[in-house]
Amino acid sequence: MATTATLTLASTDIAGDPVSVSKVATLTKAGSTNDLDQSSGLNRVHLRSTTEKVLLAANAEGNNLAAKVYLINKSEDASLYITVKINAQTTGKLYGGDFMFIPWSQTDTSASIKIAASNWTSSTGDIPVEYALFHEDTDFLTNA
Amino acid sequence: MATTTAQLIITSTDLLSDSLSLSSIATLTTAGSATGLTGTEGLGRKKTANTSEYTLFAAAEATDDKAHKVYLKNLSTTAAEYFEVQIANVVVGRLYAGDWAFLPWSADSTGTNCDIDITPSANNMTLEYMLFTDE
Repeated sequence: MATTATLTLASTDIAGDPVSVSKVATLTKAGSTNDLDQSSGLNRVHLRSTTEKVLLAANAEGNNLAAKVYLINKSEDASLYITVKINAQTTGKLYGGDFMFIPWSQTDTSASIKIAASNWTSSTGDIPVEYALFHEDTDFLTNA
Repeated sequence: MATTTAQLIITSTDLLSDSLSLSSIATLTTAGSATGLTGTEGLGRKKTANTSEYTLFAAAEATDDKAHKVYLKNLSTTAAEYFEVQIANVVVGRLYAGDWAFLPWSADSTGTNCDIDITPSANNMTLEYMLFTDE
């Protein structure tokens, strides 16, 4: 059983020489070569307010176990962004089309991942967001 | 204007009862626009001598609240070895051997100092990294 994540970064003109970086990671359990065996599946939500939402609630059982989070802002409007927070700290903004793929340690129950459509207005329309969690602990049903 | 793309492909034939094949391509642009990012610090490697915390990217050296992007990879081949990644002293997660991450970075240095710090779990580990900047 194996799940792989491949990242390719490419540019012909951001530097004097082309950038071409391609990396493959096999998603494994913490500190082992055993594959991650659970997933929330691919989820889709539509943000329709500026209210901050809990996307993935941290689970104390997941403390420092291996979990990977994929998150993408599917808006086609480059100006519309979602603010991403972990443990109430803003880590970055995903503008329309941007994605992220990160490990998630859930150091405690405060380490939830929250998102907000910070510059949403009633005239901008929904901001669709897709996400998936790949993990190894057993008690995540409330987050699916 | 430069054109830089990031493509993510996640695949599995046996994690679920149906095959998983997920692909996303993003063109890296400046905040709120279709203009391509033009700055990068290039692909680099940092070899850490011990298990102390290291500041990989200092928020004070990047423009606040922009669309910076960060790539990180743990080059270790020992499964138990990891880098703990923190932003603004908040633990994001652990990159175990072979793991990589790609994430946006706000680089806020006004409200909170959003440095990206790494803490290796063992001596003599190597992290590969790249920063695309929105200046």
